[in-house]
Amino acid sequence: MSDFSELEDQLRKLRPLQPSGDLVTRIGRSLAEKEPVPIAGVLSPQRRFHFNWLSLGLGLAATAALVIFAFVRIEQPGKQTPAIASTVGVPAVSSNPNGQLVPAGLTQVVYHTRDEGLHFPTNSEQPMRRVRSQSQQTLRWRNPKTGATLRISYPTEEVSLLPVTGQ
Amino acid sequence: MENAATDENWKTCFCQLAPGLVLFARQWTRSAADAEDIVQEAFVKFWRRHHNIANRGLLYATVRSIALDFIRRDSRRARREASALSDADQSVQPEFDIEDDSQRALVAALDLLPSEQREVLVMKIWNELTFAEISSALEISQNTAASRYRYALAALKKNLTANV
Repeated sequence: MSDFSELEDQLRKLRPLQPSGDLVTRIGRSLAEKEPVPIAGVLSPQRRFHFNWLSLGLGLAATAALVIFAFVRIEQPGKQTPAIASTVGVPAVSSNPNGQLVPAGLTQVVYHTRDEGLHFPTNSEQPMRRVRSQSQQTLRWRNPKTGATLRISYPTEEVSLLPVTGQ
Repeated sequence: MENAATDENWKTCFCQLAPGLVLFARQWTRSAADAEDIVQEAFVKFWRRHHNIANRGLLYATVRSIALDFIRRDSRRARREASALSDADQSVQPEFDIEDDSQRALVAALDLLPSEQREVLVMKIWNELTFAEISSALEISQNTAASRYRYALAALKKNLTANV
């Protein structure tokens, strides 16, 4: 590198032209402006992660509803849903001294049923008919003290295996 | 330059770096105005994110990236710049305060350098970047940066000797 030291000195003596005077002003103005929202590409670090409390709340509510629904299903294991719509009534008499919400009813509306044909399950010797039904279920709670009600609806899909009877 | 690296006042930082930054950006543009636009955009973007010049390699990488985007944005300009960069006779003239004929010859010799050698030379001589910072800005190894610098000096020396 020492071979080039003289040349490097000559190069350093070359001075680049100064930029125009208004460049500093323009940069100052740009820095004073609010940072624009990125249209595409990489998100700014502050916006990369945003915790959505509303989604969390809705998720928890849906989970709670599913747990309650599963509990209701376990209580009635043999129940089928042959009807287009059915309603399960729950006595609205409150046994809760605190006046909290108590289950008041469950409505299931079957809006689509599809016969998927015969199947041969591994644990069965005879063929079974598989029926897939889609329904909308609504759970209701009621506060007997205040009369306030809470209603949660969600879609469900159920697959039933029905034994084929000989004809 | 050391003060610029730690100063929190953007004006202090920028005023020390501006001539070298604009010269660096001029490699991809035909006019000083375009180079200044690129430097403005790059510096504002960089300063908003980092608030100091501690990582100079990243600052020059930002200038380079915006300069290349600037070329791509305008296809007509891109064709002109590509032609200018590939044709040594029409290469972009760096802007210097030329005091005498020897400096004029030096600038002419600089103009003949391949673009990848010239950008390393510009970063090293007029922006005082280390090879580590140059390698970071150009995403090349330090050895490659040092080699390009050495080749640039050798080519300059050869051109100057041939013209004497």
